[in-house]
Amino acid sequence: MPVNGDVGRILQLIEKTLEDPIGYIRRQKSERRVKIVGWLLTDVPEELIHAAGALPFGITGGSESFSQADAHLQSWACSLARSCLELGLQGKLSFLDGLIIPHTCDTTRNLGGIWKHARPLPLMESYLIPRQVDRPSAKSYLTGELGRLKAKLEQCTRTGITVKRLHDSIALYNRNRTLIRKLFRRHVDDPETLNNRAVYNIIKSSMIMPKEDHNNLLRELDAALGIYKKAGTTKGYIKIALSGKVWEPREIMNMLDGIKAVVVADDLATGHRYINGDVRESGDPIEALAHRQITRMPFACYGSAQFERRRFLTDMVRESGAAGLVFIHLKFCEPENFDYPDMKSACQSTGIPTIKIETEMGNMSLGQIETRLQAFLEVLRGGADNDGTASL
Amino acid sequence: MTERPPFKSAGLLKKLMSRYYAKGKAAREKGIPIAWVTAVFPVEVLYAAGIFPYYPENFGTLAAARKVAAKLSANAEARGYYFDLCGYARCGLGDAYAADHPAGVIGRPDLLFCCNTQCGSLPKWFETAGRFYNAPFFLLDSPMIETTPTTLGKEYFIDQLKEMIDFLEIRTGQPFDSDRLAEVMALSGEACRLWNEILDMAALRPAPLGFFDACFHMAPILTWRGTKEAVAYYKNLKEELELRLVRKIYAVPNERYKIYWDHSPVWPRLRWFADYFAAKGALVAASQYTHSWAWSFDTTRPLESLAENYTEAFVNRGFEKRVQMKIAFMKKYGMDGFVFFSNRSCKNNSFGLYDKRKAISSKTGLPGVVIEGDMSDLRFFAEEQVKARLDVLFEQLGQRGK
Repeated sequence: MPVNGDVGRILQLIEKTLEDPIGYIRRQKSERRVKIVGWLLTDVPEELIHAAGALPFGITGGSESFSQADAHLQSWACSLARSCLELGLQGKLSFLDGLIIPHTCDTTRNLGGIWKHARPLPLMESYLIPRQVDRPSAKSYLTGELGRLKAKLEQCTRTGITVKRLHDSIALYNRNRTLIRKLFRRHVDDPETLNNRAVYNIIKSSMIMPKEDHNNLLRELDAALGIYKKAGTTKGYIKIALSGKVWEPREIMNMLDGIKAVVVADDLATGHRYINGDVRESGDPIEALAHRQITRMPFACYGSAQFERRRFLTDMVRESGAAGLVFIHLKFCEPENFDYPDMKSACQSTGIPTIKIETEMGNMSLGQIETRLQAFLEVLRGGADNDGTASL
Repeated sequence: MTERPPFKSAGLLKKLMSRYYAKGKAAREKGIPIAWVTAVFPVEVLYAAGIFPYYPENFGTLAAARKVAAKLSANAEARGYYFDLCGYARCGLGDAYAADHPAGVIGRPDLLFCCNTQCGSLPKWFETAGRFYNAPFFLLDSPMIETTPTTLGKEYFIDQLKEMIDFLEIRTGQPFDSDRLAEVMALSGEACRLWNEILDMAALRPAPLGFFDACFHMAPILTWRGTKEAVAYYKNLKEELELRLVRKIYAVPNERYKIYWDHSPVWPRLRWFADYFAAKGALVAASQYTHSWAWSFDTTRPLESLAENYTEAFVNRGFEKRVQMKIAFMKKYGMDGFVFFSNRSCKNNSFGLYDKRKAISSKTGLPGVVIEGDMSDLRFFAEEQVKARLDVLFEQLGQRGK
């Protein structure tokens, strides 16, 4: 890969961080003597955790084998929830000072109770997001819920979350999102330099590393990348979009790189759901956080008339210039499975080829995924078959 | 199962349910809006707005009990719906696509109303159905109550009830009738009171009815709640049960054990379970499931009262509270053991059962088992495994010398 030394070094550092996020965050804890508050996907307002003086730590999946979770949670719960619980049960998260679980589905709704019962942490809170966002009641409720969470975090860290502190945290997080979005555009235009795995690693590492450090690292990366000649760098690449919850198993990104598919858009919780939309930096910061949540891009966990998901997806594909859409769906994810048929047919009727890859955290047959992705890319490259009926 | 004389009320129930469907048909002809409604939803508001409520979950139970769930589901699965979604939803979506209708035709909604205290599957099903039928969907959102009810959660629900009333006024073109709401709530509360008095008779030793009977007789509290008909039905049923007590007609012959069940029944195997327990001299006395409607309304502050009743129900409570509530049931009914049904169709009531079983056994000393299956889809039901689990329970009960 024709990347200069600094770029390679930074990407390597990020990759290494992601190989052992727990080891990384534990070092942060002992070096900085800071409280660590973990959170599960998706939508937890990290700005509040940060403003309370704690370090937010995103747990985006964990153990690849399930030795203890099965005794507490049925094997037909999604493997994302099971793998996170497994980490907790194995005691690998005992260093956490707190854990926030957002209620986005029936699994996350019940996970906290099980976890708290089996392996309590000093602070265990649910983030009770409203499941309707179209009516005014949602925002006033959410403002109250964020206030509740704020008070709990203040108790945990014994640090008052002042308006000033929260504004500062919001500004820091906005900078991070802005930097990542800039790098993502670079990736779209120049996938040779910043491939799929690299750019999605950047997003995921943002959930782990302190934002101050991450921002510095991204600025360094941006500088190291320098200017690039737009023409020619995307030659031979096919643009695709992704939809789902997480890009796991992570090898999927390498496979896409290998077959010269460049991901140009997504609605993943470990993708654009994380980096899209900033928080207003003036006025009441709690209300501003609520506003971001209410106006977030649609996802499977609740419907919204304002942000109709099927329309959103087809627009996303069209506007990004993607030639097709890959659904990466976690097995047993009920909300996603409810949405899938209508999303697929909306794509079909607008001429967007799709493929669904069913995934699990842990022991997956990667070969099968690769074969299907290759076949899909062949369809996309074939062009002639590319009439939207080519869904695999 | 030793044959008991059939319930006279069964005939009434049949008539009542036919009337319900006839009423729905008449409503359609008269242009009265037909709304899909979830089981634990403040339907009182819809009645007050002159809307006819239709319960797709009831369609799901019907399809399941008639053992056609897998057949209907196949229509949904052929369209890409995953076989692991809530069984009722697969039956409902499957029937919408089907050419033949072994459980009758699922009603077409003009509007859809869902309250998500029960689970997250229902809102997804209704949302999907809303697209299919091209009808507006209204979600009454109720975040889970982790420990004690909060003012925040209650006010959110009340705000939404007001939004719903606005929505109904726009849709019906009629001003909302608050007097009618109070009237409906009084009727609903009265039916709930009678229903719970009936369910409580299962605590008698021996008892004239149990959970499996309750599964049968719950149809009116679901579909007619808020009407005079429901009140009349449960008055009648209660009288019949009282008479049965006088005549010493009991739910199971030689009742030795009382068993707590959680949560819904395995509809297509209801009879199999009833026979199994009866043969052991065990009465499955109660489940929170049939106690889902236990409202006690204060009609002087209707919206607050609706919010309290509907959001504070067990389905919307956190782990510890649910454990406490189950233990309270076990004490109230004098249960000897319990069976938890890990139901693939119902994540919200199944996740956590493994730990709850242990917690409850260690707190109460009662033996309990978890069985795996599905409330509607027999593809997920392994009879031998279930029987083996239940046998373990009865071995434990036997060792306890009861």
